[in-house]
Amino acid sequence: MKKLSFLFSCLVLFLSGCSMRVFNPISETARDQSFLILFSFFLMMIVLVVVFVMFARFMWKYRETEENKHTIPEDEEGNKAFELTWTILPIILLIVLAVPTVRMTYDMSAEVTSNPANAVHIEVTAQQFSWTFTYEGGVQTINNVTLPKDRPVVFHLNSKDVIHSFWIPRLGGKRDVMPGENRRLIVTPEETGTYQGKCAEFCGVDHAKMRFTTEVKSQQAYQQWLNEEKKEME
Amino acid sequence: MIADLFGRKFYMASDTIGAWVMLTLTAILGIILITRAKKWPIIREYATTTHHRKIGVLYLLSATLFFMRAGIEALIIRIQLAFPDNNFWVFQGEKFNEAFTTHGTIMIFFVAMPLLIGLMNVAVPLQIGAQDMAFPYLNAVSFWLFLAGALLVNMSFFMTASPNAGWTLYAPLSTDTYTPSAGNDYYIFGIQVSGIGTILAAINMIVTIVRHRAPGMTLMKMPLFPWSTLITSFLILIAFPVLTIALYILMFDRFFGTSFFSGPEGDPIYWQHLFWIFGHPEVYIIILPAFGIFSDIISTFSKKRVFGYGSMVVALAIIGLLGFMVWVHHMFTVGLGALVNTFFAVTTMLIAVPTGIKIFNWLFTMRKGVIRFSTPMLFAAGFIPTFVMGGVTGVMLSAAAADLQYHDTYFVVAHFHYVIIGGTVLGAFAGIYYWFPKMFGITLNETLGKLHFWLFLIGFHITFFPQHFAGLNGMPRRVYTYTAEDNVFVFNFVSTLGAFLMGIGTAVFVWNIYKSFKKPQKAGDDPWNGRTLEWSVPSPAPEHPFENTPQVVSHDPVWEAKLHRDGELPKASESRTAPIDVVSWQPVMLGSLMLFFSLAFIYHVTWLQVTLGIAVLGFFVVRALTDEHTKKAKEDQAHDNV
Ligand code: HEM
Ligand SMILES: [Cu+2]
Ligand SMILES: [Cu+2]
Repeated sequence: MKKLSFLFSCLVLFLSGCSMRVFNPISETARDQSFLILFSFFLMMIVLVVVFVMFARFMWKYRETEENKHTIPEDEEGNKAFELTWTILPIILLIVLAVPTVRMTYDMSAEVTSNPANAVHIEVTAQQFSWTFTYEGGVQTINNVTLPKDRPVVFHLNSKDVIHSFWIPRLGGKRDVMPGENRRLIVTPEETGTYQGKCAEFCGVDHAKMRFTTEVKSQQAYQQWLNEEKKEME
Repeated sequence: MIADLFGRKFYMASDTIGAWVMLTLTAILGIILITRAKKWPIIREYATTTHHRKIGVLYLLSATLFFMRAGIEALIIRIQLAFPDNNFWVFQGEKFNEAFTTHGTIMIFFVAMPLLIGLMNVAVPLQIGAQDMAFPYLNAVSFWLFLAGALLVNMSFFMTASPNAGWTLYAPLSTDTYTPSAGNDYYIFGIQVSGIGTILAAINMIVTIVRHRAPGMTLMKMPLFPWSTLITSFLILIAFPVLTIALYILMFDRFFGTSFFSGPEGDPIYWQHLFWIFGHPEVYIIILPAFGIFSDIISTFSKKRVFGYGSMVVALAIIGLLGFMVWVHHMFTVGLGALVNTFFAVTTMLIAVPTGIKIFNWLFTMRKGVIRFSTPMLFAAGFIPTFVMGGVTGVMLSAAAADLQYHDTYFVVAHFHYVIIGGTVLGAFAGIYYWFPKMFGITLNETLGKLHFWLFLIGFHITFFPQHFAGLNGMPRRVYTYTAEDNVFVFNFVSTLGAFLMGIGTAVFVWNIYKSFKKPQKAGDDPWNGRTLEWSVPSPAPEHPFENTPQVVSHDPVWEAKLHRDGELPKASESRTAPIDVVSWQPVMLGSLMLFFSLAFIYHVTWLQVTLGIAVLGFFVVRALTDEHTKKAKEDQAHDNV
C-alpha cells in the first residue's frame, strides 16, 4: 500500500511538474513523441496497477501466521482459463500500443526522405567535440545554431570522425551522425526561444561537453541575422 | 608518476597509485591471515578441484569480489555526478569514461554471469539427481578461463590502460585510430578468454542436464532452475560465438590494419549488428536463470508447486527464441528505415507476453499458499514489483518513435538497472541465501539477511527511480558532468544518496557471510522444508551426493516423499555412472597461461606469443592423452584383487 501511494505521488509530480524537456515539445515531431510516451505510460500503468494490487493482496492474505503454519495448501497445477486471460489481455494491450507506434515510426521515416518546400537547409558537421553549422550562403557557426520559426529545417548530418548523435530534446528525437554518410533530420520549430542541443552518442573524452545551443527566431529576425553574418564574412 | 615497463611508459594518476597501495596491503594482510589460520591446504584444495560445488563457490566468490570493485566504481560515478559542474578527484573526462566502461563490463561479464553460473554449478546437478557435472575437468577449465579473462579486464586499471569506449565498444571509437592505448585490447582479450570458458560451461550444462538426470525425471518433471539453465546454455552456445567473431574482427582492425569497421570499405554499423545480436540474447542469458531461481524459491516458500508449470517452460523457451529477434531495438536512432524499426519494435513488445505469463504464474503460485518470508523469499518478493517496473519501461522503450527520445539517456540507464538488478542481482542474492546450506552446511544469519534486503532494495529504488526523470529532462548517459541549467541536479543528488544506501546494504551482506562463518549455525539437510532433490542430500553436498540413485516418480519429488512416503525417496534399480573427479593443477595452469598469452598480444611481444601459444597447444595434447576412465577402471580392479 505504501508503495502504491508513493507511486501515486510520483505520478502527480510527474504530471504537474512537467518541466521535463521531452514533455515540452516545440515541434510536431516532438509532440508526437511526447504523446506516444505518455500513451504508452498510461497503458503500462494499467499493467503495473493490476500486478501491484494482486501482489500486495496475495502477500498479505496468504502470509504465514500462527494458525496456518502447519496447514498444507491444496495442490493445484494451474488453471487454463486464468492462463489464457493473462496471455490474451496483454496481447490486446500491446496491439493498442503497436498501432500508434507503427504509424508514427512510418511518419517519422517518411519525413526524413521528404523534400518540403520553402525549407532551410543546414549542414551539420560533428567532430570530436564540437558542432559546426553551415547555412546556405556559406555562413558558419560553431556550437550554436539559429533557426527560423515555422519553416521546415533540413539538417544534413555528417561526422568527421566517430559516431555522434544529434539531439535537441524539445525539438524531437535524436539521430545518429555517422562518419562518411549523409543523414537528414527534418523538423519545423514552432516557438521562438533558446533550447539545449547535445551529442547523445558517447564519442570520447569530452563527450559530455559536446553541446550546442539552438536559437529559434521569427522568420524576420532570422533573415536579419543571416544577412548580418554574411556581411561579417565579407 | 611515471613507470617504465615492457619498454612503455606508464603515467599513474593518484587513484591508480592508491589502488596499488591498497592491493599490496590487502595481499600482504591476506597472506598473513591465511598462514596464521593454516588455511593454505584449503586454498590448494579449491585450486585443484573439479567438484561442481567447489567450482560453484569459486565462481560466486570471484563474482562477489568483482561486484565490490565495480560497485566502488558506481559510487565514484555517482559522487562525480552528485552536483552540477562537480570535480571529484580525478574523475572527469577520460577517468570517468574508464570508470563507467569497466563498471558496465565487469558488472555484466564478471558479476552477473559468474553469479548465475556459480549457482548453476552448486544447485543444478543436485536438483536433477546427478553425481557431478558431466565433465568435471572441463568445468574447472571453464572457471579458470573465466577468471583469467576477468583478471585481464580488472588488471587493465592497474596497468593504467583501462578500456574507455563503453561496454558496447562501438566502432570506430574502439578502433586504434581513436583509442590507441592498450585499454580496449584488454577488453578484447579479457572477454575473449572468459568467453571461451563460458561456452565450455554451457556445453557442460547441456550434457549434464540431458544425460545425467535421475531415472524417472523426465524433462517435464525437472525443476525450473535446471530448465532455465538448459535454455540459457543454448542461448550462450548461439550468442557467444557471435561476440567471439565480433571481437576477432575488431582485434584485426586494431592490430593488423584491416578496416572492417571503418574507412570506405568498412562500416561501423556491422559492429553494432554483431554486438547486439550477441548483446540482446546476453540480457536474457543473465535473466532467465534468475527466473528459474525465483520459481523454485517462490514455490518452496509458498508450500505449493509452481502454478502453470507447463506454460512456465513454454514461456522460457519463447523468450529464448524471441530474444534473438529484437536486437535492432538498440539501434532505432541509426536510421535503418521504417520497416526494420517497426518489425523490431513489434517483436520486442511480443516478449512482454511470455514475461507477463511468468509474472502471473508466480503471483498465482503464492495465491492460496502459506507464504513464509525467510530471506530468500524476501528477495523473490522484492523482485516482482521491481522487475515489473523495469519491464513496463522496457515496453515503453520498444515504441520505436518514442525511443528516439529515450535512447542513450538516463531513462535507459534506469530501465536496465531495474531489470538487471531487480532481476539478476536480487535473484543471485536469493539463490545465495537459499543454497548457502548446500555449499557450506550453515545458514546465513536471518536478521542480517533481512537488513541486507531492505537496505539494498530501498537504496535501489532511491538510486534508480529519479534517473527516469533525469533522462526525460534531457540528460544523456555516459556524461561526466552537467550544468545547473539542465535542471537535473535533484534527481542526480537523490540518486547518489540511494547508491550509498545500496553500498551499505552490500557491506551488510559481506559482514553477514563473515559473521555466519565466525558463529556457524549448522543447517540440516533440509533447512527450508524443500521440495526438490537437493534437499535430500547432506549439507554441504558431499562428493558423491546420491548414495542410492533416487527413482523420480513425480514433480517436486522430495515434497511428494514427505507427504506420502515418510520422507523416503524410492530407490532406482539402475544407477547412473558417476563422472570421474580428479585433482589437478592443469586447469589453473592453463588459465594462467592464457592470461600471459593475452598479455603477450596486448603488448605486442611476438616471441612470447609464439612460445605461450605452443605451450597452450601442449595442454591440449596432454589432455588428449590422458584417459581417466581406463586409469580408474584399472585402479578399481587392483582394489578388487587385494
Ligand atoms: C550497485 C549499484 C549501481 C549503481 C549505483 C550503478 C550506477 C551506474 C551509473 C550511474 C551508470 C551510468 C554511467 C553513465 O552512463 O555515465 C551505470 C552504467 C551501467 N551499469 Fe550500473 N550501477 C550499479 C550496479 C550495476 C549492476 C549490478 C549492473 C549489472 C549487473 C550494472 C550494469 C551497468 C551497465 C551495463 C552500465 C552501462 C555502462 C556503459 O554505459 O558502458 N550496474 N551504472
Ligand atoms: Cu558525443
Ligand atoms: Cu535488447
